Amino acid sequence: MAIATQGTASNYLQRAPSPSGLADVVELILDKGLVIDAYIRISVIGIELITIDARIVIASVDTYLRFAEAVNRLDLTQTEAAGLAELRGDNGGGGGGKAKGMMEGAKDKASDAKKGLKERVKGD
Amino acid sequence: MALQTPPTRAPRELSTALYCYGVTSADAAASQPNAGLAGVSVEPVCFRKLAALTSAAPPGKVRARRADLLRHFDVLAAAFERGTVVPLRFGIVFDDEASLVRDFLEPRHDELAGMLRKLRDRVELRVTAHYREQAILAEIVRESPRVARLREQTQGGGSPPLLMELGELVSAELQARTARDGRAILQRLGALAEAYDLSEEQIEHQLLRASFLVEPTRLKAFDEAMEELAAAQAGRIDFSYVGPLPPHSFVSLEERR
Repeated sequence: MAIATQGTASNYLQRAPSPSGLADVVELILDKGLVIDAYIRISVIGIELITIDARIVIASVDTYLRFAEAVNRLDLTQTEAAGLAELRGDNGGGGGGKAKGMMEGAKDKASDAKKGLKERVKGD
Repeated sequence: MALQTPPTRAPRELSTALYCYGVTSADAAASQPNAGLAGVSVEPVCFRKLAALTSAAPPGKVRARRADLLRHFDVLAAAFERGTVVPLRFGIVFDDEASLVRDFLEPRHDELAGMLRKLRDRVELRVTAHYREQAILAEIVRESPRVARLREQTQGGGSPPLLMELGELVSAELQARTARDGRAILQRLGALAEAYDLSEEQIEHQLLRASFLVEPTRLKAFDEAMEELAAAQAGRIDFSYVGPLPPHSFVSLEERR
């Protein structure tokens, strides 16, 4: 495919040609990709999925206490406002309906999502 | 004929099962020596305009071993270098070549050919965005007088009800920001893409995890948009940006029966 693959010249962000971690590969090839009618064998074993560095957003006492603690520990003198504002305001209204519904669904989905979350695969 | 010289090689049980990686057009198909699962060669099985990329399936069920997961991905990436490819999910096995044609390539020929046409030259770009916790929490303290006040009141250990109130407030602020900033990024990038696939799983501090289907002529604009976003949000939001990938997130077949 004749596409320039060099990334941007940015100091901030470089496009990587391929995923850096197994977790990202796994998400692409186990969650995405064509699935064929049920009668064709999809035969996979040995996948042990562990959720490690991804906490599902869930409203709970634990979460609240954790945030309270984190906020209390903050050293505000060290966290000067980075260039915010850029994302704000002008794009405030009318986002995609899909994105809009995300937060509402989050709590209900959280327990299911945990099961489906594939952030790490123990492979050999 | 009771006595025969034993064969020099122990007769292996020859499996005819084929593991399938993806589908490409017959004229772009190529063998990939030793690239397949367990290191066996990948060979195209052609039917009319289509070619399924296959290799001899390992006996029994396919184990999702690290090396094989990467091989599945790499075979598709290599095919993608040569032309358009429709990626299959990991772990799809056909009983034999005849069944691959009879159950998949033949009945789905037009659909697959149409997909290859539609995805011609398109690339998948994958973007994730996360808040830096310290930065976003500090922002919330600065911008919410109630949070700031509660924080003052609970410095050095407040009463549990006050801490709960603070935490709940911070959590709500964070969710509002996640939704708002995620939406803004999606709008900005979505405008440059033909389609997008948004992961709806809510992961803490993650504003966005999405794939974008992008025309090659838009790749530069997309890079620039990502660069601008990353520069403007430096220190506040971290991005990861991967591609061009085969269109894993943009293939689907109509369900039958």
